[in-house]
Amino acid sequence: MMAKNRTEVADIDRSLYDFSYGEEGFERLDAGLTPDIVREISERKNEPAWMLERRLKSLEIYHRTPNPTWGPGIDGLDMDHIVTYVKPNTDQKNDWESVPDDIKNTFERLGIPEAERSYLAGVGAQYDSELVYHNMQDTAAKMGIVYSGIEEALQVPEWEAMIRDKFMTLIPPTDHKFAALHGAVWSGGSFVYVPKGVKLDFPLQSYFRLNAAGAGQFEHTLIIVEDDADLHFIEGCSAPKYNVANLHAGAVELFVGKRAHLRYSTIENWSKNMYNLNTKRARCEEEGEIEWISGSFGSHVGYLYPMSVLSGRKSRSSFTGITFAGAGQNLDTGCKVVLGAPDTTASIETKSISKGGGISTFRSSIVATPAAEGSAASVSCQSLMLDDISRSDTIPAMDIRAKNVDIGHEATIGRIGDDKIFYLMSRGISEEEARTMIVNGFANPVSKELPLEYAIEMNNLIKLEMEGAIG
Amino acid sequence: MDSLTIRNASAMPAPTWSWLKMNSVDIEVPEGLERTCRVEIEASEALTDNMKSFEGALAELQGRQNEARAADSAATDDRAVARAARGADQGAADLDTPALSAYERSAVLSELAGDVARDFETGVGTNARSYLNFLAGGTVVLAAKEGAVEEAAIRVTANAGETSGASIDVVCAPDSELKLTLSLDSDAADPAFVGSTLRIFAGARARVDIVVYVTGSDAVTAVEDSGFVLDEGARVSVRHVVLGGKFTATGLAADLRGDHARIDVDTSYLAGGTEQRDFNYVIRHRGRKTVSNMDANGVLTGTSKKCLRGTIDLIHGAKGAEGNERETVLLASKGVDNKTIPSILCDEDDVAGNHGATIGHVRPEQLFYAACRGLSQEQTEALFLSAKLEEAVLTAPTDEIRTNVVRLGNQIVPNFEEEIA
Repeated sequence: MMAKNRTEVADIDRSLYDFSYGEEGFERLDAGLTPDIVREISERKNEPAWMLERRLKSLEIYHRTPNPTWGPGIDGLDMDHIVTYVKPNTDQKNDWESVPDDIKNTFERLGIPEAERSYLAGVGAQYDSELVYHNMQDTAAKMGIVYSGIEEALQVPEWEAMIRDKFMTLIPPTDHKFAALHGAVWSGGSFVYVPKGVKLDFPLQSYFRLNAAGAGQFEHTLIIVEDDADLHFIEGCSAPKYNVANLHAGAVELFVGKRAHLRYSTIENWSKNMYNLNTKRARCEEEGEIEWISGSFGSHVGYLYPMSVLSGRKSRSSFTGITFAGAGQNLDTGCKVVLGAPDTTASIETKSISKGGGISTFRSSIVATPAAEGSAASVSCQSLMLDDISRSDTIPAMDIRAKNVDIGHEATIGRIGDDKIFYLMSRGISEEEARTMIVNGFANPVSKELPLEYAIEMNNLIKLEMEGAIG
Repeated sequence: MDSLTIRNASAMPAPTWSWLKMNSVDIEVPEGLERTCRVEIEASEALTDNMKSFEGALAELQGRQNEARAADSAATDDRAVARAARGADQGAADLDTPALSAYERSAVLSELAGDVARDFETGVGTNARSYLNFLAGGTVVLAAKEGAVEEAAIRVTANAGETSGASIDVVCAPDSELKLTLSLDSDAADPAFVGSTLRIFAGARARVDIVVYVTGSDAVTAVEDSGFVLDEGARVSVRHVVLGGKFTATGLAADLRGDHARIDVDTSYLAGGTEQRDFNYVIRHRGRKTVSNMDANGVLTGTSKKCLRGTIDLIHGAKGAEGNERETVLLASKGVDNKTIPSILCDEDDVAGNHGATIGHVRPEQLFYAACRGLSQEQTEALFLSAKLEEAVLTAPTDEIRTNVVRLGNQIVPNFEEEIA
């Protein structure tokens, strides 16, 4: 009897992202974590004293907090060999022509300037530990929108007060070990302020590129969308692959006002030597809405669970995510929702694909507090196994403490069903085409939520090349 | 006896965030209880008069498994997860194999070792089993001979101020059938503890039906712990009916080792006042074309708490396996706390794993139907409560258990006995 061939799905083609330039003229602090390194980072940024105090406090918390024991292994991450600050050979610019050639070429190859010209209202580009480019269209500025580097905003008294009030309040350093690490050595990132009633038709985007081997990137994104305002923010990230561990421990804090709307889209494509230990959190006021669109493709290890805290009546959250775990990857992704007020709603739809020995875990929590009467949440999680050497787990938790709530959860794990192949083949479609259609259809609910350019990028990332499948 | 805390009981195989406080539970055994052994076992002489042992059954199964593995020894497992678990890749190559979690590493190593006895587990776990064995003072073995059809009943009770526990091994030979009823009951007005720990081996094509009723008063702590090993084509059906007890822990772990083995677990529970229910189900699919179905249905009232951990583990090699899990919970009061974590762990592609949960209140159409008949929302919810008890009475396997449920029902629903008369 002939062995049955399986559908072959190619690994993600990373050649687009896997290139690097040298570090001539770059400044690297020593590897490891000490109060002196933290002070030096703070000093270089000319920060207010309160920020240095918070950094040092976070460092203390980091040292006394144990590593997580429930997730993918992080034994290979030796903080004594991670450089927490690498300054590129340029200051922040607001026109691409002023950016050094190597760095500009990097972002050109990644398509960032072209995207800015085509459809974005503003772009921030970070290279290693610092922003190297930041710009926003005049029309957006005239609407009163602020989009700048967070360190730049800290130098403006009005924004400094706001940042001091919000910074690491949604993600306190006590949250987990890598939130504490972030609080100690954060560098770069964006500050966005959308005034009351302002609706921006075009997205803002930040792109993070980690070029330095053995380094960490710790950008902080702080977005405040005031009442009745609307924003779409896009985040992208990539890195060349090295044979030493790199670390990404960024933080994203989103404040969504009453009746405001924020869509936060991410295509994460770190290299396969990356430990991506990122934390994202949003808080929504009355009738506010947060939409998370998340594609996780890269990283050696991923811990990523965007969290929505629905603290206002009738606030809403949705999470649409896809995770593709290929060879050498252990991606632990999902989301968290706190239904913390009456009549809140949350929907979660995730897809995961495992192949080539990769491990994908969907992990979630829905917590309905006693205040959440009349709330509802639905979770749908589908996992597709493309071979028998990979692994896919789902670990969803629900803690419901309110009456008159409706919580629904559905999850399935499996491979492509023979009945589906048979159905399509009976209509004249070849087996190979049938499998391609099914896998593409599996990923479609996520890609259709992305801006067209990113949907194309995602399709490029997945590269679902079907072959074989006869037998 | 001094107070005792059984820590890390009913632990999930693959833990999640510790802040959720769902990974395991600590069981408090009240202080000052006197160890007794109020255990009655009704079984035929054929069941009790034998020389079989649970360990012997596992050893025999291990022998057959070893032969099968030896025949397949040419194929060494070179999957990335296996290399990672063995620590075969070092340095830069380590970045090319997935970084396993502690659970993933132990799961792969366990699979590579293929040690039936070492893989054996019970739902509430080792610490609870040790304590229950201590309370029981010895293990009773019930063994059904090949092709035999048997029945047995076990009753564990305790008076106020007492602890009482049973330790039972069940060994069902190929093609045998056994119906086993277990009752954990105590109407004590003051603290008491009742518990049982069961190890069940279901031989090839054996049929095992187990019904467990927990009907303690709101002063009683009850722990029901069990572990199953299913040989080829074995079929096990378990019905857990947990209606009373200040704190109850129900744990079941099943190793579907043989091909075509199947287990169905049906759970019905009720909690009121400040009562707490804890469930831990772990179904390991190791054999090919194995099937598991878990279905839980419960009502929570007052300020009661419940945590249900359900894990379907589809282990590498369990081709054609299917695991299904479903839970429906009715939250009938403000102040209840319902925790549910239905996990699917999957290390094989040719499998199907499904789970679903519905947590909520009485559906609007049900309320409307009841309102048309003059019932308020509170009355409708009370109806669901009494319906749960009525169902337990109607399906009680023995008169004694029926009496226990009626006694409990009278404490929860006014005129319950008259309603069901």
